[in-house]
Parts: sequence; structure tokens; C-alpha cells
Amino acid sequence: MAPSLTHHELEELLGAYALDAVDPDEAEAVELHLRECPRCHTEVLTHREVAASLAQVGSAAPEGVWERIAGSLEEVPPKLDMARVVALKPRREIGGGRPRNWAVAAVSIAAAAALVIGVLGVKLIDQDRRLRTLTAAVDSRSLETTAMAALVDGAARRVQLKALDDKLLGEAVMLADGSGYLLRTNLPTLPVDRTYQLWAIVGEDRISLGILGREPTVTAFKAAAEVRALAVTDERAGGVTTTDKPPVVLGWVPAAKPRSA
Amino acid sequence: MPYTSAAASSSEDPDVPGEPLKEMSDQTLVVAIGRWREDALAEAYRRHAGAVFSLARRVLSDLVSAEEVLQEVFLRLWNQPEKFDAERGSLRSYLLAQSHGRAVDLLRSEGSRRRREEREARQTAEAGYDLEREVWDLTLASRVKEAVAVLPQDERCAIELAYFGGHTYREVATMLGQPEGTVKSRIRAGLKRLRSALTAADLDLAWPQA
Repeated sequence: MAPSLTHHELEELLGAYALDAVDPDEAEAVELHLRECPRCHTEVLTHREVAASLAQVGSAAPEGVWERIAGSLEEVPPKLDMARVVALKPRREIGGGRPRNWAVAAVSIAAAAALVIGVLGVKLIDQDRRLRTLTAAVDSRSLETTAMAALVDGAARRVQLKALDDKLLGEAVMLADGSGYLLRTNLPTLPVDRTYQLWAIVGEDRISLGILGREPTVTAFKAAAEVRALAVTDERAGGVTTTDKPPVVLGWVPAAKPRSA
Repeated sequence: MPYTSAAASSSEDPDVPGEPLKEMSDQTLVVAIGRWREDALAEAYRRHAGAVFSLARRVLSDLVSAEEVLQEVFLRLWNQPEKFDAERGSLRSYLLAQSHGRAVDLLRSEGSRRRREEREARQTAEAGYDLEREVWDLTLASRVKEAVAVLPQDERCAIELAYFGGHTYREVATMLGQPEGTVKSRIRAGLKRLRSALTAADLDLAWPQA
């Protein structure tokens, strides 16, 4: 059961969490928090990159491990969850025990063959799914990088997008030239006939900044300097030109002068 | 032959550019792994296995367990390449985080008391470890070393014990006779200080910089 921690307490745990140095219940609490707090999420990733730079010790991998890995790839259909079934014993220890009962072994082989046939169909579908995920990740990489660079811009204004109950569901960053980025959000996926739409609130007006789709990812937008707030609404697919709907999330834009670089 | 494969050629992979594997970025390589290309996994292994293994060995002080971790980390990459999210940083840091997490799990798992005692005995015999020794032999070692030297002793010690020692911050606090909250803060502050120092040294941390 994850303990209930304040944001400050969670923040204080981020360094230790990134080094796997917290207790399991604290890890659970941090993980829950990271899903809804892009800033803390970014901090953990940064800590891990730092830790990785410490760990870059230059010794070579030991002999023989690749052969064991490659051997496992041939023997077990990839769709299987091998994280749990990995044969971790060094090769020299394999072969010491032969099956006590050959009949049992024969049944196992037959069962494995049936499993392979069953898995092949699944594998094709699974391959498409994981490729879609991967190519999407690569495509969004450059935009993500640009957006992250914007975050560290000294003049950047960060906008926290919150639901009515004050829950943080996303973050945007706006630069002095009016360009902005919607960062990772935690908005629930909408049905296929709906879309999220991003709005700038300028004075009393709502100006559409773009259609975000039903699963918003990192998005670039352009807004006038005098934007008071950003809002996201839930609209019919295709978007609308004007809206009276209450925002799903709203974030006030801080004053142009940043408090700190 | 460890680094060859009969897997599909790149011409059949619309999502994978037809460039040689050795010139592919890590991200493209992972897409190729998503296509079940064993040669792509072999290339990822060639690039990162040394670091993945070394970190696990450092934490576990045990060759056989570290080999287990190495094997597991790369099989996981093969089976679930989509778990690597390019938005979440470099492949290297992803694999190292996996390696570290798994090594720490082994260390803390049930029945691991003896493993830990043995390990501590070995470490005593090897006169302990420290960050400076960890990074001495790398091309970028001098820069990392300079950055580490910027750390106050307290922060450095807390990070060493947590990261390379595989201890929780509470354990570190007990070992150092310091309050838990202090240790927790020092780890975080130390990591931030290191990042500033590494950035100042112009070391590319791959993410989230442009």
C-alpha cells in the first residue's frame, strides 16, 4: 500500500528513487505520482541519465553470454514472457540433469509445439502493435527534444494544466516568441468520435490553438504573447471553431518575467 | 557467429532505414529489434553489454549473477522493445536502469542475506569501492571524475552507497549514522550537482538536452 505523501515529500524521494534506493511502498507512491507530474517525471529521467554516466565503466561483456541469449531467441517464441522464464544457469551447468522421465519430456515437447503454432498468429499482431508504438516514439522524439529544450529556456513560462479538482493532468511551456509546447499529458483517451482541442484565453476570447486528437502527445503551438491561460476541451472529432464547453483542464500562464532561470 | 543473423533483410523493413546496423542510431536499432531482427539485437549488445554487465557486477560483486542480469536485460529488450521509450532518454541509460534495478532486486530478494554477506566480505577484501575508481578507465572518465570531485563528501558517499552498494537510503542512513531525511536530500542534491557539473563540462547526457 503506497503511503500518502505530500508533493514535497515525493520530490525529496526522487533522487533515491532514481537509484532504486527506496522501499517498495515508497517506490509505488513515487510511480503513481510520476504518472501525473511531468516535472517530477523529467527529474527522475535526468537523475537516471546522470547515474548512467557514472556507471559507464569500460569493461567488456563476458564470453559466452551472447551465445546464450542468441540460443534462447531460437528456442522460445518471442511472444512468450521470457522475463520470467529465462534460463539463467550458465551453460556449463545445463545438461547435468537429464529428464527423469522421457515420457514426460515427450509430452512437454508436444505441448511446446502446440504453443508455437498458437503463438505465431499472435506474434504477427503483436509485431504490428509494438512497431506502431516504436515508430511513434521515434517520430515524436525530435519534437519531444525541442520541447524539452524549451523547458530549460530561461524565458520559458511553464503552464500547469489542471482539472477542476486541481489534479495536475499536463504541462505546457511557452517561450517569449509565442511558440509553445504541450508536454506529456495524462488525459484519458477519448472515444473515436471525440477529440481534445487546445485553446488560448486572450482577454475574454477563446482562440483555438489546435486539435490534439483523442490521445494527446507532445504538440507544438503558436500563441499571442498576451495569453492569460491555456485550456483543453473535449469536442467532436474534427474540432470546432468556437466552444462553450467547460475545459477539461485549465492552466494560467505566469507573468512574462520568469521568477528564476 | 555471434553477430550475424538470418533475420529479414532491411529491404523488407519499411520502418527501418536500409543503412548499415553499425551506423544506425540506438532508436532505429530498437525499431529493427521490434522487427525481430536478431542482428539488431546483437548490435545493441555490442554497444551496451559491457556497461550493463559492469554495473550489475559492481552492485552484486558476483560474476555469475551479473551474467544472469546481462542476459535478462537483453532478452527483455528483445521481447519488449516497446518498453524502451525514446522520450524517456537514451537506450544506454534505459538498459543501465534495468540492469541496476534487477541487480538490486536480486540483492534484496528473499534468501539473499547470505549473498549479501558474501559480497560484503569480498568488497572488504577488495578494499571497498568509490566513485573515482568506478570511472577511471573511460574516455570520458576524466570529465566525470572532475564532476564527481565537485561533490561534497557527504553527498558523494550517500550516492556511492546507494547506487554502487545497492542500499536503500534508509540503510545508508543507518550505515552513516545520519538522519534518513538528510541522506535522502543529499542523494537528490548530489545528483543535481553532478548534472550541473557534467553539463558545465559539456558532457552530452543525451537527454533531455537538445
